Amino acid sequence: MKVTFYLNNTLVSYDVEPGEYLAQTLRKHGVKSIKVGCNESTCGSCTLLLDDKPVMSCSVLTASIEGKKVTTVEGIQQEAAKIASYFSKEGADQCGFCNVGYALVIYQLKKDYKNPTDEEIKNYIVGNLCRCSGLQSQMNAIKAYLKEGK
Amino acid sequence: MKIKEYYRASSLEEAYSKLQEDPSNALVAGGLWIKKVNQNHNTLIDLSTLGLNKISEKSDAVEVGALVTLRDFESSPIVNSLYGGAIAFAIREIMGVNFRNLATIGGSIMGRYPFSDVITGLLPYDVTLEFYPKSSMTLEEYLNYKGKLNAILTKVIIKKEEGKGFYKKVKTTALDFPILNIAVSKVSNKFSIAVGARPMTGALAHKAMDLLNNKKVISDKDIEEASELVSKELMFLDNKDASKEYRLDLAKVYVKRGLKEVSK
Repeated sequence: MKVTFYLNNTLVSYDVEPGEYLAQTLRKHGVKSIKVGCNESTCGSCTLLLDDKPVMSCSVLTASIEGKKVTTVEGIQQEAAKIASYFSKEGADQCGFCNVGYALVIYQLKKDYKNPTDEEIKNYIVGNLCRCSGLQSQMNAIKAYLKEGK
Repeated sequence: MKIKEYYRASSLEEAYSKLQEDPSNALVAGGLWIKKVNQNHNTLIDLSTLGLNKISEKSDAVEVGALVTLRDFESSPIVNSLYGGAIAFAIREIMGVNFRNLATIGGSIMGRYPFSDVITGLLPYDVTLEFYPKSSMTLEEYLNYKGKLNAILTKVIIKKEEGKGFYKKVKTTALDFPILNIAVSKVSNKFSIAVGARPMTGALAHKAMDLLNNKKVISDKDIEEASELVSKELMFLDNKDASKEYRLDLAKVYVKRGLKEVSK
């Protein structure tokens, strides 16, 4: 079946299997920034923005996104570079597998909240696991990024 | 998982008729559980264009479309205004935002999952489910319904009343299923107690509720007695996550805390 949607503001149309998942479709079409970790809606590595909301692309049926807007890290390159630099400064960047998912979630967090509390930040990012670090360095990096421009 | 066809329904009537065509046909809500159970379906029926994703406030109730995501539900000011935010809090305890942006209220209820925070979180309140073809039943009636209901959930109606709620999800890590979940409410001076993940689907502890609701003034002793009664009237079992004994101890402690909290 054919599914048409906006991928980083470009209209694309792909032939997909009815049971195909979005992470699979995007990787098949060269969007290798999507990382599949657990592949069972838990780790958050495959996170992207669907209509400006973070979702786990390993669990989104591609057939269900007709006409929607998909944003991957390629669509937020400038902001992603800023987030990466804060991660690097805080030593939050280790193997890097979770970073893409983090970048998208943090980008959207900044849009959704003006001045989030620590609790709100934790609640927003809890679905993104980092298996290298203790998450404190990520928290520091996120808070520094959120403060930027204020 | 093999799916032959993905069908975007343009009306409830069409979706219902497609559902009757083949026993393997299924409705798709957030799509998360469909992936987990990995069954084959002839057709998956998509309801996303039928306007079932709205929350609306009426004079005496809040009406929640079956396809409202858990994230939209828990962040809705309307839902947060209910029972001191206790229902919204229960839903906020489920996984992360990127999960809750997919999972829906309807999918979470219809699955009657043993670990469900949605079911336990809603059970102590006056909640009615509306279906297509037109019919309705309370959440508790649906949980006690034997077999698979041949209908499409369209709306979850939560009655607006003055009251307080308490919710506790006991879990090992932030992203785990609960070992036990406990919801307690005091609405219009009546106590209600639900316990889920025992590891069975949430259920109301009617005997304990009756004990409290038949008294004019509640003492610490009554609370103690009610929490003991909960552990006797509901079934608790072992599984790989926790022993029956541990669950019983947790239930007694958190029911007691919940009753004290809502009595303040």
